Amino acid sequence: MAFMFRQRRWTSTALLVALALIAGACSGEYPNSTFNHTTDFNAANDAVWDKLLLFGTIVFVAVEVALIYVIVRFRKRANSPDPKPVHGNTMLEILWTAIPAVILIFIAIPTVRTIFATQAKAAPDALQIEVVGHQWWWEFRYPEYGITTANEIYLPKGRTVNFALTTVDVLHSFWVPQLGGKRDLITNKTNFLWFTPNTDIQTEAYNGFCAEYCGSSHANMKFRVYTVEPAEFERWAQHQARPAVFPVQAAVPMVPSGAGVALQDVAADSMVADSTAPATPMLEPYWFPREQLPAHVIPTTRLPKNLTFDESLLAAADAERGRELYSRSSCIGCHAIAGNPMSVSKVGPNLTHLATRHTIASGLYANDAKHLALWIKNAPAMKPGSLMPSIGIGETDPVRKNVISAAMGGLTDAQIADIVAYLQALQ
Amino acid sequence: MATIVAAPPYASTATESANTGLWSWLTTVDHKRIGVLYLITALVFFVIGGLEAFLIRAQLAVPNGQVLSADMYNQLFTMHGTTMVFLAIMPLSAAFFNFLIPLQIGARDVAFPRLNAFSYWVYLLGGIFITVPIFFSVAPDGGWFGYAPLSTKQFSPQINMDFWVLGLQILGISSLAAAFNFITTIINMRAPGMHLMRMPIFTWMSFVVQFLVALAFPVITVALVFLQFDRFFGTNFYAIGAGADPLLWQHLFWVFGHPEVYILILPAFGLVSEVLPTFSKKPLFGYPVMVYSGILIGFLGFGVWAHHMFSVGMGPIADAVFSLTTMLIAIPTGVKIFNWMATMWDGQLRFTVAMKFGIALVGMFTIGGISGVMHSSPPADLQQTDTYFIVAHFHYVLFGGSMFGLFAGLYYYFPKISGRFMSESLGNWHFWLSLIGMNLTFFPMHFSGLLGMPRRTYQYDAGQGIELFNMLSTVGTLVLMLGTLFGLINLWKSWKSGERASSNPWGAPTIEWAIPSPPPEHNFDELPKITSRYPLWDLKGTVIAKPTTVAEEAGFKQLTAKQLGIPMPNPSILPLITATGVIVMFSGMLFTDTNQKLAIAIMIGGAVWWIASLYSWLLTPLEDAH
Repeated sequence: MAFMFRQRRWTSTALLVALALIAGACSGEYPNSTFNHTTDFNAANDAVWDKLLLFGTIVFVAVEVALIYVIVRFRKRANSPDPKPVHGNTMLEILWTAIPAVILIFIAIPTVRTIFATQAKAAPDALQIEVVGHQWWWEFRYPEYGITTANEIYLPKGRTVNFALTTVDVLHSFWVPQLGGKRDLITNKTNFLWFTPNTDIQTEAYNGFCAEYCGSSHANMKFRVYTVEPAEFERWAQHQARPAVFPVQAAVPMVPSGAGVALQDVAADSMVADSTAPATPMLEPYWFPREQLPAHVIPTTRLPKNLTFDESLLAAADAERGRELYSRSSCIGCHAIAGNPMSVSKVGPNLTHLATRHTIASGLYANDAKHLALWIKNAPAMKPGSLMPSIGIGETDPVRKNVISAAMGGLTDAQIADIVAYLQALQ
Repeated sequence: MATIVAAPPYASTATESANTGLWSWLTTVDHKRIGVLYLITALVFFVIGGLEAFLIRAQLAVPNGQVLSADMYNQLFTMHGTTMVFLAIMPLSAAFFNFLIPLQIGARDVAFPRLNAFSYWVYLLGGIFITVPIFFSVAPDGGWFGYAPLSTKQFSPQINMDFWVLGLQILGISSLAAAFNFITTIINMRAPGMHLMRMPIFTWMSFVVQFLVALAFPVITVALVFLQFDRFFGTNFYAIGAGADPLLWQHLFWVFGHPEVYILILPAFGLVSEVLPTFSKKPLFGYPVMVYSGILIGFLGFGVWAHHMFSVGMGPIADAVFSLTTMLIAIPTGVKIFNWMATMWDGQLRFTVAMKFGIALVGMFTIGGISGVMHSSPPADLQQTDTYFIVAHFHYVLFGGSMFGLFAGLYYYFPKISGRFMSESLGNWHFWLSLIGMNLTFFPMHFSGLLGMPRRTYQYDAGQGIELFNMLSTVGTLVLMLGTLFGLINLWKSWKSGERASSNPWGAPTIEWAIPSPPPEHNFDELPKITSRYPLWDLKGTVIAKPTTVAEEAGFKQLTAKQLGIPMPNPSILPLITATGVIVMFSGMLFTDTNQKLAIAIMIGGAVWWIASLYSWLLTPLEDAH
């Protein structure tokens, strides 16, 4: 019996520790905490949660204390008379039917109010963002600005944002714990979710997750949200809306690498030339400064064993060669780069301003030369089930179970390094 | 004075009939032996499901775990859920339905003894059907909920989900056959004087559960048949390219899925409602309210399914309605908790292992109930759904509730089942390690969930503030496994060499304790006449049944059914043969894509097999002419 007492005490101590942890959960140690009041939506939901926690704790303490009391008080003692065979007590039973009912009323009223408040139609001047789920990455479109991007969202503080959510394949769920609750992406249906990031929050980076199981790489379907000042947002948006600014190498005449590609090169060059003549006054481009990224948005995903890349090749790579190679390889079967007329497919993520993003593969790896190279070499080895096939010659594609050869359009490490140089130039 | 024709003490020796050997188990139609088969089989699956959980926790112990591949992890969490729900907890409850219901209502057997055997064999073979693929890495991987369109051929083209779609249909046959059997049994075969409101509370809760099964399983069967037609015959129920609404699946699944939760918990509630009175020496407080609240929980359970879908965008009206109906369920559930405490109030509590598990259910289920109310509120649920907070919630309900209740029932009824006690010392290890282990495993999950950890993810980044909680959960799993190991060792040792138990070793009040332990084949020598809810306790006076002892029952000879002239159902192999034919028929479906002719041949063969076997079964009389 003594052991049982200690156990019960341990349980209540655990509860206290637990409550302390809940209180502590609002601090920065928990970068994906659901308790931060960063938006009106999250504040409204959290207000309901506070009531639930309060009443839940009261009921928990009351029941467990009563239970412990019963266990201690009424344990069998030697020579005590048999207990009275009480069958019930109508008054008591009405009482403990009524008490929970009353508590539930206190929960139900704010619940229903909050449901209707948070699911009302969004303000008409809200920033529209179309969210399209794909296995296993996120497509984000800003129709107001003509932007199509992937896996990273910029939100201006203080402006209501209205997400229109849908999916091209299986179900997904859009979730940024720090900014508010989830909303599912349902095939053949458009869902909405809106909130207003507070004006007084920091310029900050948040983690977003897919919260509905969607197959092999469900765990790897992440994204990033950056809340920025409205002016910074305008700079970002204007920049993203333009075709990729391809650096000066584009103007340098290319060494012809084969007659068959000459036509493509001409087309690509002319497009690059177009993009250097903007119609509107240009703001200075903005994206979230890499050096200010908080630790919690920097991926820690481990690289697969047996996947290597000769990093010395990256230093010697040539972006222009990469562009030429990219434009005639299987890359263009899925990807679009505004400014590269050969690359217009909408199957995979839009790469127009890839170099302004901080992660690749849907938040799975840092966007740097090494990870990009490995990713192109063997994407499905880096992200289970990835629909992007392996491309490096000699690599085994774990999804399609084949070995990549040159005849299949596979690329050497040197070629991949060139493409990486090109992609890294796409600011 | 409550009367019951029971009572001379009996010798605790089993009946003399030669009911031993493998063949006797394959052909048995005795509800008690079928109950034992259910018990052992379900415990084997419980261990398999537990090992699956262990691998999951091993993978999640540290960030970016390298124990499992993504695909293996997805198969394991799918099979952990499927195994625990359909192959462990439901059949463990079925073990008690089988063993106890006829004894508690004073019947010779269930209404349809051979159908009962058939249910078991379909369960066993269906369980093997759905479990074996995990050993070949081709197990179902679409989650135990199998959401369309992920579960359709377009997105799950391999054989994995075929096993799931077919396996669940097979298991549904077992559950439905058993449900109709028990409903018939309880309605028709109660002993004279056993009015509905005198029925033992476990039988009452079982009665409610059978109706839930009978009403809920057809719904998932419809959902599965649609999916099966989509997968094999190219229909468009969930085909998104043809404009299907994937929410059809979710609605059908949860119209089944939520009552399923009560199918899993009510039997445990029933068992605990037997255990607490006996070890408190007091009748169950508020018996009628306990019955009505059980019925109400079952009834309301059909009106809350969409609370699993608050994030799918049903709109504010549906969200509000389903939120309120869900909150309502807390009321009858709360009443049960309070009535259990009132049962113990002013009693004389004896802390046997059974009692400890029973009390632990009250304490632990309360936690699961409170977190349940928390996500009955959509504003809170939008943050909680599909996170580890939900995982924490339903493990408090299913482990702290269902499993603790079933363990309480096991320790309590083991003397009746086997004629031997389970060891209290090993049982204490089992109990304390389980209690500590489950809290250590599942309590931290509340935090990992609220701090932003989504469910069904095989890896997570470092530095997200959830490492400690995940490590605690994994350590807790080890403690839990150790506790379970003590339980299994206890069961094994006690079965072989446990201390002998008398007919009523606990001094319990209901009529199953009036007959020998283990009961003779025919249960009751003559039909008991029931005049009160607690026939062995004379509740009008102050006399509570004294526990009987082996010594005082020594020397009395239990007569066999034959000697007493009681006709018994004949053993039959036909239920097993029929069940096998059913499995063969379903297995043929697996070849639809690879070899259509073979598939059709196997399916027709299987159908002919089970239909012929069923005919032969129907033409064989249940009993010898008498």
